[in-house]
Amino acid sequence: MSGILRRMYDWLVRLFWATEMDITIIGLQNAGKTSLLRVLAGGEFTIDSIPTVGFNMKRVQKGHVTLKCWDLGGQPRFRSMWERYCRGVNAIVFIVDSADPPSHPIAREELHSLLQKPILDGIPLLVLGNKSDLPDKIGVDELIDVMKLEDVTNREVSCYSISAKEETNLDAVLQWLIARAKR
Amino acid sequence: MSYSKKDEDAEPAIFKVDRTSVFQEARVFNTSPIYPRKCRILLTKIVYLLHTGESFPTAEATELFFGITKLFQHRDASLRQMVYLAIKELAGTAEDVIMVTSSVMKDVAGAGGRGSGDQDIYRANAIRALCRIIDGTTVQAIERLLKTAIVDKTPSVSSAALVSSYHLLPTARDVVRRWANETQEAVLSGSKSSALFGFGSSVAAPQGSGMTQYHAIGLLYQMRAHDRMALAKMVQQFSGGQVKNPAALVMLVRLAAKIAEDDPGLRKPMYTLLEGWLRHKAEMVNFEAAKAICELKDVTDTEVAPAIHVLQIFLTSPRAVAKFTAIRILHKFASVRPSAVNVCNMDIETLISNSNRSIATFAITTLLKTGNEASVDRLMKQISGFMADITDEFKITIVEAIRTLCLKFPSKQAGMLSFLSGVLRDEGGYEFKKTVVESMFDLIKFVPESREEALAHLCEFIEDCEFTKLAVRVLHLLGSEGPKTAQPTKYIRYIYNRVVLENAIVRAAAVTALAKFGVSAKDGAKVDPEVKSSVVVLLTRCLDDPDDEVRDRAALNLRLIKNEEQEVAEKFIKNEQLYSLPVFEHQLIMYVTGDQSTFSTPFDVSSVPVVSREQAHAEERNMKLRSADTPTLKAPTTGAPRPAAATSAAEQASSVIATTQKYAQQLALVPELSAYGALLKSSSEIELTESETEYVVSVVKHIFKDHLVLQFNVKNTLSDTLLEDVSMISTPSDEEEVQLEEDFIIPVPKLAQDEVGTIWVSFKRTSEEGYPTGSITNVLKFTSKEIDPASGEPEESGYEDEYQVEDLEILPGDYLVPAFAGSWDNVWEQVGAAGEEATESYALGTDVKGIQEAVELLCKQLYLQPLDGSDVAVNSTTHNLKLFGKTISGGRVVAHIRMAYSSKNGVALKATVRAEEEGVAQMVVGGIA
Ligand SMILES: Nc1nc2c(ncn2[C@@H]2O[C@H](COP(=O)(O)OP(=O)(O)OP(=O)(O)O)[C@@H](O)[C@H]2O)c(=O)[nH]1
Ligand SMILES: [Mg+2]
Repeated sequence: MSGILRRMYDWLVRLFWATEMDITIIGLQNAGKTSLLRVLAGGEFTIDSIPTVGFNMKRVQKGHVTLKCWDLGGQPRFRSMWERYCRGVNAIVFIVDSADPPSHPIAREELHSLLQKPILDGIPLLVLGNKSDLPDKIGVDELIDVMKLEDVTNREVSCYSISAKEETNLDAVLQWLIARAKR
Repeated sequence: MSYSKKDEDAEPAIFKVDRTSVFQEARVFNTSPIYPRKCRILLTKIVYLLHTGESFPTAEATELFFGITKLFQHRDASLRQMVYLAIKELAGTAEDVIMVTSSVMKDVAGAGGRGSGDQDIYRANAIRALCRIIDGTTVQAIERLLKTAIVDKTPSVSSAALVSSYHLLPTARDVVRRWANETQEAVLSGSKSSALFGFGSSVAAPQGSGMTQYHAIGLLYQMRAHDRMALAKMVQQFSGGQVKNPAALVMLVRLAAKIAEDDPGLRKPMYTLLEGWLRHKAEMVNFEAAKAICELKDVTDTEVAPAIHVLQIFLTSPRAVAKFTAIRILHKFASVRPSAVNVCNMDIETLISNSNRSIATFAITTLLKTGNEASVDRLMKQISGFMADITDEFKITIVEAIRTLCLKFPSKQAGMLSFLSGVLRDEGGYEFKKTVVESMFDLIKFVPESREEALAHLCEFIEDCEFTKLAVRVLHLLGSEGPKTAQPTKYIRYIYNRVVLENAIVRAAAVTALAKFGVSAKDGAKVDPEVKSSVVVLLTRCLDDPDDEVRDRAALNLRLIKNEEQEVAEKFIKNEQLYSLPVFEHQLIMYVTGDQSTFSTPFDVSSVPVVSREQAHAEERNMKLRSADTPTLKAPTTGAPRPAAATSAAEQASSVIATTQKYAQQLALVPELSAYGALLKSSSEIELTESETEYVVSVVKHIFKDHLVLQFNVKNTLSDTLLEDVSMISTPSDEEEVQLEEDFIIPVPKLAQDEVGTIWVSFKRTSEEGYPTGSITNVLKFTSKEIDPASGEPEESGYEDEYQVEDLEILPGDYLVPAFAGSWDNVWEQVGAAGEEATESYALGTDVKGIQEAVELLCKQLYLQPLDGSDVAVNSTTHNLKLFGKTISGGRVVAHIRMAYSSKNGVALKATVRAEEEGVAQMVVGGIA
């Protein structure tokens, strides 16, 4: 009996408070976008993840909020398509491999040229330094620096250091994202 | 649940759909949350538009495409399926479609879905969409996925993967070919889920039909298309009963037939398989096998018998479709080998009154081919009974059969002519009327006895003819044939009627036809002055015609007729000269496609050979006999059409002129030959070695007025060897008898590997009269030099070597050219009165199996034209072969060959030859066997 009541309740909650959010995850190839999404959705971390051809979509359920996450391929041939998938979303997540400093200047270029697009004005941005479990990683402050995040205007910006592998700081990521839901 | 779904789909949303509004509605894809029902309807509209031929511009297609990607991973399985259908259709026009690869792959793998039953709904669609969005460079990324899908236990998924691989093969051949093992496995596991269904049973469900086997075999074939041995192995392996799906078996049948055709060594095992499939449970397999056997190259009577037998059984099937299929195959085969279809005549007879007209038509036309002269009249009566009930297409089939028959059995012309004139009066479209009129033209040309009556029918026809084109053609014919008849005035009246009543095009044709009566008359006779003056009167009236063309023609013709010099008039108006049209066409093409410089000199018409009317007729008649063998209603075939079945005697003879003209062009390039005059005849190419020897040699015999020229084509197949000074020592075996004297040899200076060179050896015929025959021995002489593999240079001095090739026979046939005559009896009498006669008897032995084979052999050997339809043996024990032709210098040669066959002694024959030139009769008789 209580099972049915419970389900009725869930259903009502979803009916009145359920929110669906669109989140786009971008970043250079090998940054760990697909890995992060897999872990966020409750999957296992795998070391032999294959490069994304195009994009992936996954839903992440957190309480009464559903995050529809668009994980885009980071190889150069797909970067021109990022903008298309960033239009009108609730938040953009930009992932950087914090243990791969040589890639940082390119990451910065790509990020800034994307944010230039007027159509994306005002969309909140979350920059994540991934692979914090690796020894050569750089810290959050340093990342804010190399990515020139102070230059970003017209939007909310945050930056965290995380590890998809060790699942470090992932709760903070989810909290931040859910807080961006338009009510 | 299922009820509510039905309601949704029942909405008549589909009926008013246009591109612009669909594109505007596409916003619905971007709404969050997604409305599955609305989206599905919109997707259906898009797919509907694309299927009705609408196309979206690239920008719109791209926009839609990416809109649709927002719907990915939705819980609603039907929506997912629809998404893939739309993606597959848009993939061709939209840009950046590669973007969806990863997402689609996820669905193919089956991850992320909920119940697996749901997944099966869209997985197949996902696979089919995937192969449209992937490009050559990314195929590797989906390799593992597709390999797994190929062996998936759900037939729809497996089939989709196989078909997709088939499409990917051209873009990523090497990758796809690695999936052979999986594909093989799909064939074998396909049989587990298969349920047999026959030809007539209901359409099979996509699941459990074993269709996977069909797709898998199709893919395997594409993978191995270039490896005949592998294909043969595959066909053999799958013929053991694992393949149950009839469609798959039909494919195997076609493959087996193709292999049998391409490789004589495999013909036997393939035939055994085909023969086995004649007894398979599924009718479509039986039919396909029977058809394949009938179409085998040079199929023997023994080989074809079981196929004919199976078809015969189907003739009595209660189902129309089976009857139709069987009779259609038999009909086609009857054109090639009427004698083999004879056995079915009884059963075919019962079909001629079948209520299904298509069956009845084929039954009758088949009987017309297989039957003998005696049955023709009865069949014609049958046909007349229902001509009114069938479509033009079938009418044409019938008329074509009759037209062939006219040429085969000229003695039956009266009955056929009255049939043709009867149907000419019936209702019918242009194509049909044209076929009838052309058949009558043929009768007039080739069966002289029918001329007057046929012309009368045509006159009547143009009195009320709605087709200008046909009226013009009939008028032309009246102009050329009318003057030769006993009462030309009769036709003048009909023609002048046209001048009065018709449109300008017909009037112009009528004027030209009229003019011909003013200058020509019956064989050699002078034009009746009365006829001439009445033509002048009529033409003068035409000078007032409102149309320019008509007036011009009238004026020109009047001038010519009034001209004192008959010759000029005849030359212009009668225009008896005929260019060899195929050569003319070829030369014109060469001229217009040549480089700029060719245009600096005008095209030279005199380089086009002029053929005599007789030659042109003979050729035309043969072509007609042949073309009528190809039914108008063609059955679909696999791959390129194979060359015509057994080369018939007629075909062989008609190609002489063409070959000769082809070589005339080549010979013109050899200056030494220019003094020999015109090329009179060229033989076909004769192989003097096996095709796998070190030096491959073939020869063509060219006959000139006083010379015999041998064109040896030599190919050096040795690697790393250079041949120099390649020459041919040709020695007539017995100088005395052969009467040939060597004139010159042109050797080939150098012949590298795989190069073909031509050696010319010329002989002068020493005696003025007679044609030398006998054999010539040939020895190839050359200097062989090895090539140093390091430097690529040939060694300094090689060694001289010789290589004997086979002897070449010079036959009486080499001096003969087939010719056509309207009546064999006439020429037989004429030549008999003026020339010599020789008779000889022969026994061909038991190697020659049957009369028909002997007929073909003799026509080939003697190079004469069979007349009076005698190239087809109707009776299997006795036959009269009537041949006619000319020597290269123009003397007529007529042969009468009486044959008898018994299985114990084979074919025995008695040949009587009459010829105008001295010694020729004896030579031709001696040339048999
Ligand atoms: N050590 C470590 N490795 C990680 C972490 N996250 C991802 N990786 C590894 O990084 C590699 C790339 O991960 P992906 O998730 O495929 O990278 P991506 O950003 O999706 O790459 P594209 O799809 O090509 O754009 C994989 O070998 C992962 O195992 C992490 O937090 N720590
Ligand atoms: Mg990825």
